[in-house]
Amino acid sequence: MGTVATKLESAETLAEYRAAARERAARIDRVVRVCCGPGCIPKGAREVYERFVEAAGELADGGVAVEPKLTGCQGLCQRGPIVTVDPGGIFYQGVKADDVPEIWRTTVVGGRVVERLLYEDEQTGVKAQTAAEIPFYRGHHRIALALCGVVDARSVDDYIAAGGYEGLAKVLTAMTPDGVIEELTKSGLRGRGGGGFPTGRKWRSARNAPGEPKYVIANGDEGDPGAFMDRALMEGVPHAVIEGMVIGGYAIGSSDGYIYVRDEYPIAVERLRDAVGQARELGLLGEDILGSGHSFDIRINRGGGAFVCGESTALMASLEGRVGEPRAKYIHTIESGLKGKPSLLNNVETWANVPQIVLKGADWFASFGTEKSKGTKVFSLVGKVTNTGLVEVPMGMTLREIIYGIGGGIPGGKAFKAVQTGGPSGGCIPAECLDEPVDFDRLTELGSMMGSGGMIVMDEDTCMVNVARYFVHFLKDESCGKCTPCREGVAQMLEILTRITKGEGRQGDVEALEGLGTLLEDTALCALGKTAAHPVLSTVRRFRDEYEAHIKEKRCPAKECPGLFRYQIDAEACRACGICLKKCPVEAITGAKKTAHVIDLEKCTNCGTCFEVCPFSAVLKV
Amino acid sequence: MRYRMPTVTIDGRPFDAEVGETILDVARRNGIWIPTLCHHAALEPYAACRICVVEIDRGGWWQVVTSCNYPVRRDITVRVESERAQRARRGVMQLLLARCPESPELADLARRMGVEATPYPKVTEAQRNCILCGLCVRVCEERIGSAAISLAGRGADRAVAAPFRLASEDCIGCGACAAVCPVGTIVVRTHEDAGEVEISPFKSRVKLRRCAQCGEILGSELVRRALGARGGPTVVEILAGGDLCPRCRRAKQARELAAAVPAGAGSGTASDRCG
Amino acid sequence: MAGKSQDDLSACGHAQAGVAGIIERYSGDPGMLIPMMQDIQAGEGYLPREELKELARGLGVPLSRIYSIATFYAAFRLMPKGDHTVQLCMGTVCFLKGSGKISETIQKEFGLVPGATSADGKFTFAPVNCVGACALAPVMVVDGEYHGGLTVDSAVEILHRIAEGGGAEAPVAPGPAASDGPSAEKKGRAGSTTVKYTAEDRPDAKKRAKKKGK
Repeated sequence: MGTVATKLESAETLAEYRAAARERAARIDRVVRVCCGPGCIPKGAREVYERFVEAAGELADGGVAVEPKLTGCQGLCQRGPIVTVDPGGIFYQGVKADDVPEIWRTTVVGGRVVERLLYEDEQTGVKAQTAAEIPFYRGHHRIALALCGVVDARSVDDYIAAGGYEGLAKVLTAMTPDGVIEELTKSGLRGRGGGGFPTGRKWRSARNAPGEPKYVIANGDEGDPGAFMDRALMEGVPHAVIEGMVIGGYAIGSSDGYIYVRDEYPIAVERLRDAVGQARELGLLGEDILGSGHSFDIRINRGGGAFVCGESTALMASLEGRVGEPRAKYIHTIESGLKGKPSLLNNVETWANVPQIVLKGADWFASFGTEKSKGTKVFSLVGKVTNTGLVEVPMGMTLREIIYGIGGGIPGGKAFKAVQTGGPSGGCIPAECLDEPVDFDRLTELGSMMGSGGMIVMDEDTCMVNVARYFVHFLKDESCGKCTPCREGVAQMLEILTRITKGEGRQGDVEALEGLGTLLEDTALCALGKTAAHPVLSTVRRFRDEYEAHIKEKRCPAKECPGLFRYQIDAEACRACGICLKKCPVEAITGAKKTAHVIDLEKCTNCGTCFEVCPFSAVLKV
Repeated sequence: MRYRMPTVTIDGRPFDAEVGETILDVARRNGIWIPTLCHHAALEPYAACRICVVEIDRGGWWQVVTSCNYPVRRDITVRVESERAQRARRGVMQLLLARCPESPELADLARRMGVEATPYPKVTEAQRNCILCGLCVRVCEERIGSAAISLAGRGADRAVAAPFRLASEDCIGCGACAAVCPVGTIVVRTHEDAGEVEISPFKSRVKLRRCAQCGEILGSELVRRALGARGGPTVVEILAGGDLCPRCRRAKQARELAAAVPAGAGSGTASDRCG
Repeated sequence: MAGKSQDDLSACGHAQAGVAGIIERYSGDPGMLIPMMQDIQAGEGYLPREELKELARGLGVPLSRIYSIATFYAAFRLMPKGDHTVQLCMGTVCFLKGSGKISETIQKEFGLVPGATSADGKFTFAPVNCVGACALAPVMVVDGEYHGGLTVDSAVEILHRIAEGGGAEAPVAPGPAASDGPSAEKKGRAGSTTVKYTAEDRPDAKKRAKKKGK
C-alpha cells in the first residue's frame, strides 16, 4: 500500500507524502467501498470485499484502475452489507458475495446501476441511487466519523490522503500548547463518553497539574449494551483517535498514551494495533514527531470483560494490572490518576473530534449544535426502529427527527413507547418528549442522560418494568462488589423487580425501589452504583401505571411478562385447524372442526405454545 | 504567608486539622463518634463499607462522602448528624444486616446507630457473616507482607479466598487476619495432636513449633521464618535461641551467665542472681 | 520440586518456558499483568494453575492477586475450553428481541452452564454483555463466527449442526475468535464458489470493444 514507509521528518515531508498519496489515488478510476462495520461483518461483508479484490486482481489492466476499499461503518446497518461505488456514489444495500460479478459487470465496467440492489422507499417505491437520496441519511453530519466509511480502515495512506494528520501538523508547527487548549475550550466540546464534562477545561487542569510523567488515555471500553459507536470508530478510523491523542499529549505535556479497548472488540484491537504500527513507521508516533520536539507513543491494552472498567478509576486500576475496582475521586484523576500521576482520560469519540477542531477551528465546530452542547454526537440507533444503524447528527436535533425522520419510525405498525438513552445509567424517555432536542442538559432534565450514545427504541410490546429489571440484572452482573450499597442494593432492587415481573409484587415495592435509589445515589462509591437506580426511577416516573398494574392487578399491560396476561383465541380469525389443541401441553384447548377453538383459562399455564404455532395468528395476548 | 491549619467544622463545632488528615481523624481526635467497619488505623483506608458517610458543604450543595478517606486540604464544613447523613448510614447498615442477619457484632453496631431491624430480605450469600470489609486481605498484604488471601470474584458473589480455594502457600499462620476481622468470620484454631495451627475458613494449616526442651507450643513455624527473613541478621540471631519457650530460654541463659563467671569471683553465686 | 511426577515436571518446564517468554515480551512490567494473562489464555485456551504460579514467581507478584484478577474479569477462564465457544449476546437490543428465551432454551438443550463448559465438553457457554452488532439482534458468536437474527429454533439448529461437526451455513463470514490474538482476520474465505470472469469483465472492456469493433 504505497511507498516504502520512511519517517516523516517535518510537516513539509508529510505534505509531500500526502501529495504523493493523492496522486496515486487520482489514478484510480473506480473506487468500490465495501462496508465492513459492526453491522455488515456478521452478514458476510468481508466475503463481498474479498470477491471485489479477487475481481480487481484478476482483471487488472493498465487502462482502468479499480480499487476496492474495506471501510468502516457507512451507517445504515439495517440494510447491510453496503457497497458504494464511485464515481457517482452509487449506493448498494443488502449485497451478497454472489452479487459481486453483477455489480462488477454492470456498474464498475458498464457504468450503470443494478436496480435490484438499490435502496427502495417502502412507501413510495422510489429507488435511491446515492446515500443523499435516502431518508436515513438526512441531517447526518459526520465529524468524529468524517473519514469512517470513506477511507480503507487499514490504510494510513488513505487516511493521510484524505487529510489525516493535517491537524497534527498544524498543531505542531503553528500552535502552542496553550493555544490548542484555548481552541478546544472555545469549541465547546464536551466529553462524548457520557459525562459531558467540558473538554477544554479538563485539558487545562491536566496541563496545570503538577507531576510527571503525565498520561493521556483513550477510553475505548464501550460497555453500554446497544452502543457500538466507539467500536465503529476504532475499527473504521483508528488513526483519528491516534491523531487526537498525539495532539492532546502536546497540549498537556505528555508523551505516554494508552488506549484501553474492550476485550469483546477484537477487530478494534487489531485495527488500532496496526494503525499504531503504521504511525510509528512514519514517525507520527515516537520521538520528535515531524521534527517538533514533541514525542509521544501509544500502548494498547485490552479490557478483561468488565463493564465497570469503563469507569475512569477502574480503567486506570486495570492498566496498573489490578482488578477494576473504582476508587474515590476526592482527589481527581487529573491530579492523581494512573500510577498516581496526572492523567487525562477522554472517550475515543472525544479524541476523534480533536483533529477536526484544531484544523477547522473552534468557531466552525461551535456552529453546530446547541448553546451548551456544541458539535455533533454519534448515536447507535437500535431496537424497535425501522432503520437501525449508526448516526452522527448535530446536537439539538429532536428525538422525533432522529427516530422517525432518520430511523423511519417503528416497524410493524406498532406504537412508539419510549427511547432509552445513557445505557444502564440512563433512563427511558416517553412519547410526549419526542420533540425535545437531544443535548446533554436537556436529556438529563428529562430524567435520562446522553450517555455514550446508545439510543434504544421501544414499542408498545415492551414491558417497562421488565426493561428496568433487565438493566438491574446487568448491573448486578457487572458490579465490582467493593462497596456495600451497590453490591447489596442492586441485588435488592433485582429481587424486588423480579418479584414484580412474576406477579409477586407488593404494596410498598415502588417506595422501596425509590428509597434504594436515593441510598445508592448518596452512598455508592462510583458512578455505576450511583446511577444504578436510574433506569428504575425513570420508568417509575414515566410508566408508573405499569408498575401499579403489575403489583395491584398482577397484570402486564405490555403483555410481555409470562403469567401476567392471558391468551385468547380470536373466534373470527380461528380456522379450527386444531394445531393448538394438539400442541397444548396441558390440553387446555377445546374445539372441533369448523368450531372456533377456546382456551380454558383455568387449565392454561401461559406457556405461549398456541401463540407460537397458530398459522393464522388467531391467538391473541390480552 | 504563615501556614494556617485548615479548620474542619463538624456539626457547628470548629476544629484544627492537618492538611492530609481525614475527616474521620479529626472527628475521632475530638471525641465525635462516626461508625466504621472497614477502617483500621494501621491500614490504608479502603472506603468500601460506606458506613462512615457524612455530608460536606460544597457551597450550594451538600455532598455525601466517606469520612475515613476524605482528605482535608482546606477549610470544610461537615454534618455528621444531619438527617440525610444519618439516613444514609442507617440505610447502609440495613443492607448489611440483610446480608448477615446472624452477626451479633453487626447487630450491636446497628443498635448503637439506631437501627433495630432491616426491611430487606437476605438476597446475597455471605460466607460466615463476612461483610467484605477487606481488612483481612489488607492486613495480610500491607502489614504482614504475605498476601496469602485476596478478594475473589466480582459483585454479589465476591468472597475472600486463598488462590484456587486451596490452602495458601504464602500463609504463615500468624493469625493477623483473624485479629482484624470485625465479625468473627475468621478463626484461628490450634490442633495440638497434629501440631498445627489452622486459619479457618482458608484451610491454611501451618506447623507449630514446640520448645525443644519442654514441648510447649511456641507459635507458627512460618512466622518465625518470615520474621527472620524480614528482620535481617539481628532478628535471626535473636530467634536463634528461639527453639525454647521463654521459661526454658531464661533458664538456659542463667546457666550460661553463671558459667561465664570464674568460680569464686564476685559476690554471691549464680543461683543468687537468677530470678 | 521434590516428589513430583514426570508429568508434573514436564508441565512445570512447559509452564516456565512459556511464561518466561511472555514476561519478557512485556519487559517484566507488573502493570502489564492482565495482557500477560490474556496471552497465556490465548495460548492455552484457559489459565492453567501452573502457568499462573509461574507468572507469580517470575513477576514477583502475589499469587493471590493473580487469582483475584482471574476471577474478577469475565474474559478469564480457569477451566479448559470446550470444543466450541458460544457467546450469546445479552445486550439490551438482543434482550428486547428475545435473547432471554434463546438462552434458556439452549442451556436446557445442550446442558450449557453460563461461564463454564458443558459436562460433555462440547460447549463453553459465555453470555456476553453486548458484542456491538445490535443491528442483527439477537446475536450469537460461535467460535468467532457471528450468527444474527436468531430465533429459538435457529439457535438450536445451529448448535446442533456445530456439535455434529458440520460448519455453519453461509452467508455468515468468519470473524476473529473473541480471545484469539490478531491476524485471525486474515484467514481464508469460507465456502466461496469460484466465479468465471471473462474478457467482458475487464474494467476497460467497453473501451476495448469500441476499439475492436470499429
